[in-house]
Amino acid sequence: MIMHRRKKSARIRRAATVAATAGTLIALPAQAFAMHISEGILPASWAVLWYAVAIPFVALGLRELQRRSEELLYFKPLVGLVGAAVFIISCMPIPVPTAGTCSHPCGTGLAAILIGPGLTVVVASIALTLQALFLAHGGLTTLGANIVSMGVAGAYVGYGAYWIIRRLGLPWVMAAFLAGLLSDWATYAMTSVSLAAALHGGGSFSAMFSLILIAFVPTQLPLGIFEGILCVGALKFVRSRKPELLRMAAGGAA
Amino acid sequence: MRAIDVTGVHFTYDDGTEALSGVDFHVSEGEFVAILGSNGSGKTTLIHLLVGLLKAQTGRISIGGREIGNLSAEELYQRVGLVFQNPNDQLFAATVEEDVAFGPRNLNLPETEVQERVTEALDAVAALLLRGRAIHHLSFGEQKRVSLAGVMAMRPSVLILDEPTAGLDPAGEAQMMQLLKKLNREEGLTVILATHSVDMLPLFANRIYVLDHGRVLQEGPAEEIFCHQEMIVRAKLRLPYVSRLMYEMKRHDGVPIDGLPLTIGEARVQLLELIPKELIIAELEEKQA
Amino acid sequence: MFDLFSDIFTYRDNALTRIDPRVKLVVAFAALIAVVTAEMVILPLFVLGICLATVAALRIPAKLVVARLAAPLSIVAVLVVIQTFVTGTTPLFTVTLAGWQFTAKAEGLRQGTLLGAHVLGAVSVVFLLSVVTPAHRIFQALRWFKISRNWLEVAILMYRYIFVLMDRVADLAAAQKLRLGYTARGRAMRSFTTLAGATIIHSLEQSQRTHDAMRLRGYRGTMPFGPLPAVSGRDRRILALCLIAIAAARLLEWGVSG
Repeated sequence: MIMHRRKKSARIRRAATVAATAGTLIALPAQAFAMHISEGILPASWAVLWYAVAIPFVALGLRELQRRSEELLYFKPLVGLVGAAVFIISCMPIPVPTAGTCSHPCGTGLAAILIGPGLTVVVASIALTLQALFLAHGGLTTLGANIVSMGVAGAYVGYGAYWIIRRLGLPWVMAAFLAGLLSDWATYAMTSVSLAAALHGGGSFSAMFSLILIAFVPTQLPLGIFEGILCVGALKFVRSRKPELLRMAAGGAA
Repeated sequence: MRAIDVTGVHFTYDDGTEALSGVDFHVSEGEFVAILGSNGSGKTTLIHLLVGLLKAQTGRISIGGREIGNLSAEELYQRVGLVFQNPNDQLFAATVEEDVAFGPRNLNLPETEVQERVTEALDAVAALLLRGRAIHHLSFGEQKRVSLAGVMAMRPSVLILDEPTAGLDPAGEAQMMQLLKKLNREEGLTVILATHSVDMLPLFANRIYVLDHGRVLQEGPAEEIFCHQEMIVRAKLRLPYVSRLMYEMKRHDGVPIDGLPLTIGEARVQLLELIPKELIIAELEEKQA
Repeated sequence: MFDLFSDIFTYRDNALTRIDPRVKLVVAFAALIAVVTAEMVILPLFVLGICLATVAALRIPAKLVVARLAAPLSIVAVLVVIQTFVTGTTPLFTVTLAGWQFTAKAEGLRQGTLLGAHVLGAVSVVFLLSVVTPAHRIFQALRWFKISRNWLEVAILMYRYIFVLMDRVADLAAAQKLRLGYTARGRAMRSFTTLAGATIIHSLEQSQRTHDAMRLRGYRGTMPFGPLPAVSGRDRRILALCLIAIAAARLLEWGVSG
């Protein structure tokens, strides 16, 4: 990024203005970027690499699905329905004050708390395939990368945060909030990595990475917090109405 | 031959709700029986017991003369089929054909027979044209009929339906009831339906069980059931509208009505007898001609 | 709010919907590879042209086309801008924005345009596929390609119940709106989380009823799939023709770009 500084005195103010302008300029399409990496952006080699990273995680999730559905016959319908619910929650538009547009939650943190990270990866891979095929969100060539950022990073970071905080004996509200928040941020960090890898061209990877990350910040910072609140609120609602359903979703395993 | 025998059945849910307390329920082969009850009367619990989704704590249930516990899942589901109230519960495949084929494929039938059964079942519910359609593109009435076809494809001898007409428009309701009547009278299927809508029943059901708070209040043909006005009210039900009209005319206006007509047809015959001939235009015209 | 899938066109009868889904998947995949590996904009744009022309010939409403391509188009715009100003060495021109100078560079512009063409070409291929192949046919084809049965089973249930839950959630959201549930920010937040929680409860309860219904029709833990008929001779010829055309186009491009 080449930005010639002119007057040192106005530097900070200008930097703020530029960040804001760049933020708004990029924010709108960045939503589409951020959610999933669009079809065709990744060079073939990167697309293949991300697939190679994603497939073992999906396979791991599928093995868990097989194991748990042998014990509990209702498990596959349950995972399918939780998947449908999370898909719909992730389609609910939420206004992002900093961008002046609507964005969408990921829902992966919530899913990971409900059915565990392994199965969340499976569900995410299906949701991403459906979106790529029928909604032109994300893509088939970028499916691997999207599974890694949304499924793997989102689910495992979110679930990890939840698990550690619960282990420490801290309240579930805090665990759920951080699970939502961190799964969201992890997804965007990972998306930035794969985008930067594809876009830096001849230039520096880290410069491109920081540019993309900064472009995400104005929308993703609040969105992550929102996602944390969503996680807590939704779980609180289920816990107060039908706590037995949460046990059923966990299938005695979590 | 007895299709279903339920004797002294009690059922209590895990949360302590006693849904059925000492229910006796018997259905012969080829009968058309209605379980009439308000919401929460225990009718859904009863039909879930009949198909093995729930297990009774005490009492006996036998299907076609055999204890339900001794039947394998495969045997049971080919004897009794349950059509859920909400078609969405039951239509889980993407297309009509795939959904109806689900049952036969689970029975490991050869593909030609699977296709045969799909055609037959869709034909039986007048839905052959829907075969290739996506489930989510169907209207509610179409979904109801396709979910019935999905159960028919298992070729059960007893068909149990939970509120088959709920949510249907009047035409859909009439079509559904005619369909069930045809399956019962022509194909010889035993039909049991759980419902709280009383208007159609006298036309179709051979016998009615009135259920309230997990007990059978009364059992018998429609004529017997609906003359017990207080019992009907106690069960949070009502008379068919036409019977209610005749009942009120009899009680308040002293119109000499014989018994209690349950259908429009019966009521019409009785009223025509009471109305002076010179007031009936059709008869006058006939006389003139 | 949830006007998401418009698969109604896939149930129309036309030359493309009649082709075996396996053939369409392979052709689409080959086209995607050709587009993504293209080194000049011409090949992806050519693919875009063919796909859009076909979509127009199938009389898919322009509204849907625009709706599907809007997001990718905005991505393309950003790609071109980012690449032009951030990568490359040969200066083209300079823009001053709020006291900062941004220099556009030739290599970046070229790279950005190429990437943009990749996106448009690839998106149009998948879009065309999606308006001529219903989801269940794609699931069937994927099964033939040995995709995990468990994955497909969950996918089929998910696809089906997205529509069911969508209806219910739309009703709930409408009810909330009628009671002014989204006016103040704090209350909007609570309404939103309640909606999400209610969706989860609905889905879990639905899964129990669905499983009951499946069990009553003989489900023992694995959803049965119908057989897929052999690919017809006509479809085989279509497959061969398409693959040859794509390979030829790709090789031609390779030759030209050196």
